[in-house]
Amino acid sequence: MFKKLALAGAIMVLLIGIAGCAGNKGAGNAPSPAAPAANAANAAFNDAQTKLLDSLQPLPKATKQYKIAALEITLANPFWVTVKQGYEDAAKEYGVTVDVLAAPKENDVDSQLETLKTIVNKDYDAIAVSPITPLNLVPGVADATRKSIPVVAVGNNIDTEAAAKANATIKAFITSNFEDQGKLGAGFIANKIGSGKVAIIEGLAGAAQGEARKKGAQETFEANPNIKIVSIQAGDWDRQKAYNIAASLIQANPDLKGIYCANDVMAMGVVEALKAAGKKGQVVVTGNDFIDEAKTSIENGELDASVAMSPYLFGKGGIILALKVLEGQSVKQDIYWSPVALIDKDNVKTFDGWK
Amino acid sequence: MRRGNISSWNKISPQAILFAVLILLSLGLSVHSPFFFKWDNLRNVLDQSTLNIIFGTGMTLVIVSGGIDLSVGAEAALAGIIMAIALHAGMGVTPAIVAGLATGLLFGLLNGSCIALLRLNPFIVTLASMSIIRGLTLILTGSIPISGFSEDFLWFGSGNAGPLPTTAVIAAVIALLGAVVLNWTKLGYYSTALGGNEEALRRSGVSTATYKIALYILCGFTAAVAGLVMTARLNSADPTAGYMMEMDAIATAVLGGTSMRGGAGSIGGMVIAGLLLAVLRNGLVMHGIASYYQQLLTGLIILIAIFASEMRSRSRDGLSI
Repeated sequence: MFKKLALAGAIMVLLIGIAGCAGNKGAGNAPSPAAPAANAANAAFNDAQTKLLDSLQPLPKATKQYKIAALEITLANPFWVTVKQGYEDAAKEYGVTVDVLAAPKENDVDSQLETLKTIVNKDYDAIAVSPITPLNLVPGVADATRKSIPVVAVGNNIDTEAAAKANATIKAFITSNFEDQGKLGAGFIANKIGSGKVAIIEGLAGAAQGEARKKGAQETFEANPNIKIVSIQAGDWDRQKAYNIAASLIQANPDLKGIYCANDVMAMGVVEALKAAGKKGQVVVTGNDFIDEAKTSIENGELDASVAMSPYLFGKGGIILALKVLEGQSVKQDIYWSPVALIDKDNVKTFDGWK
Repeated sequence: MRRGNISSWNKISPQAILFAVLILLSLGLSVHSPFFFKWDNLRNVLDQSTLNIIFGTGMTLVIVSGGIDLSVGAEAALAGIIMAIALHAGMGVTPAIVAGLATGLLFGLLNGSCIALLRLNPFIVTLASMSIIRGLTLILTGSIPISGFSEDFLWFGSGNAGPLPTTAVIAAVIALLGAVVLNWTKLGYYSTALGGNEEALRRSGVSTATYKIALYILCGFTAAVAGLVMTARLNSADPTAGYMMEMDAIATAVLGGTSMRGGAGSIGGMVIAGLLLAVLRNGLVMHGIASYYQQLLTGLIILIAIFASEMRSRSRDGLSI
């Protein structure tokens, strides 16, 4: 009994230690001012922005000061805070106003719908929505359609079948290709190692973007006859779970050469596990989302690569699409793609100021 | 209760104060935003207050008896999922709803039994059952929402009963039943007494366990009704539905004048509190105020309400503050 307690205690101390290290690292580096390379600052972001704007041609001109509402999934997540910044900057640029709102609690499907219904009863000219699930906003979008308020979707769309049944219309949709993100990350590993054993750590089972990334990564690995996937595990977006998975993977497969992670938080856990096992030099790790911590880790030569999408351009694209619809321009693409990019040690300097 | 020190402040019922705040807030919003006082929006506010009121009814009964139920949000999600599974298995709307409501009754019975018969702390018991039930919802759905129901079922969440949203009628019926139980039945009388002085009640030969269990069953039932409304409104049974709703339910009950120490409570006050919270949220969205402030404001209002009610009861009891 005492031994078990002691063991449990030791594990607790270890976990707290790990969490502490991880936390300190994030905190220590977060405020460090961007020290851009002489001429490369914002280069990658400007590139991506140009690409997106090209696909949105001809750009609309607001003929009056439209009032637009944007309903996000949450404002308690840095990703969506950056989307908000994109909305607000674009609104200023185009001479319209935008109110950015969100469900008060993350994952609160019902209150997000309530918020949308309230928005519909106000005098907004257009609404941009990012539904938490494909279904939860359908009744609210139907209300807006009935009132002839155009709705565009940003990031996530509503379920087309349910929308058709409820007479809910989404006029335009901008998102990022999650499957391509998986392909980019896995492709980087495949190129780097040439041949050998790899593993995939996916997100929470059932989450759409995670499933798509896994699919992209799996297909890329399977298309290469020299590469063998030894394991696909669910890390539930969790750093600690990913740490444990990586620790076991490297025990079971001492010759493992690559681990693809469906987000950066898990990748950071994997990096720590590999460092602890003394195998970081041997295993190529990629993540997704390009969070600040991942950027620092890449600069320090620990994380090998991350795949970035631009939340800022989600918001900006959303405003532009709403304006296109309001100005009666045709929406040519079913889906507008916000660009994705792969960042590794070689190009990380050009990603200063990426948002 | 000593009645030596009654000031005029104490003669006004807290419900009347709450009601005045509700009217003032509504008037203020009507003046400030031309969109608030429109039938479409008022209908919305009614619709949006329903979950808080339905959850709040069961929660008020339990808190009055000196207990707490943290599992209601999870129970609602599970009841919705049971209904969804039954509907997709080809069962009729009525049997499916009955199955879902029975789930609520069952977990209410389990909560109540653990608390009353095993004499366990209600906070811990329902914290555990919240986790157990949330786990069940994930296991049953594989974390993928179940969706697509018939119009008959959706009527319970997004339909109309006359000029009113169906949900508002459901909430009104539940609250009315709750008021009848609390004020005019033996169960209500004993639950108030339980919260006041459980030991005295037990010594006077009352089977406190039976009444306690009955209260948790009623609370589970209201949670399942809320599950019906949520599932039918979203046309989807989501394992994460009702997340943190127990907090809203507790807040609504307490804001409505129910004492966390038990022994006193009001369904009428709870209904006003539910409406007040819905009006507040609606007003904040109407003014484009970010969700950060919604949480902050809700918390502040609850804190002030509790402070006011504590002051009153202390001065009434002749204690210095």
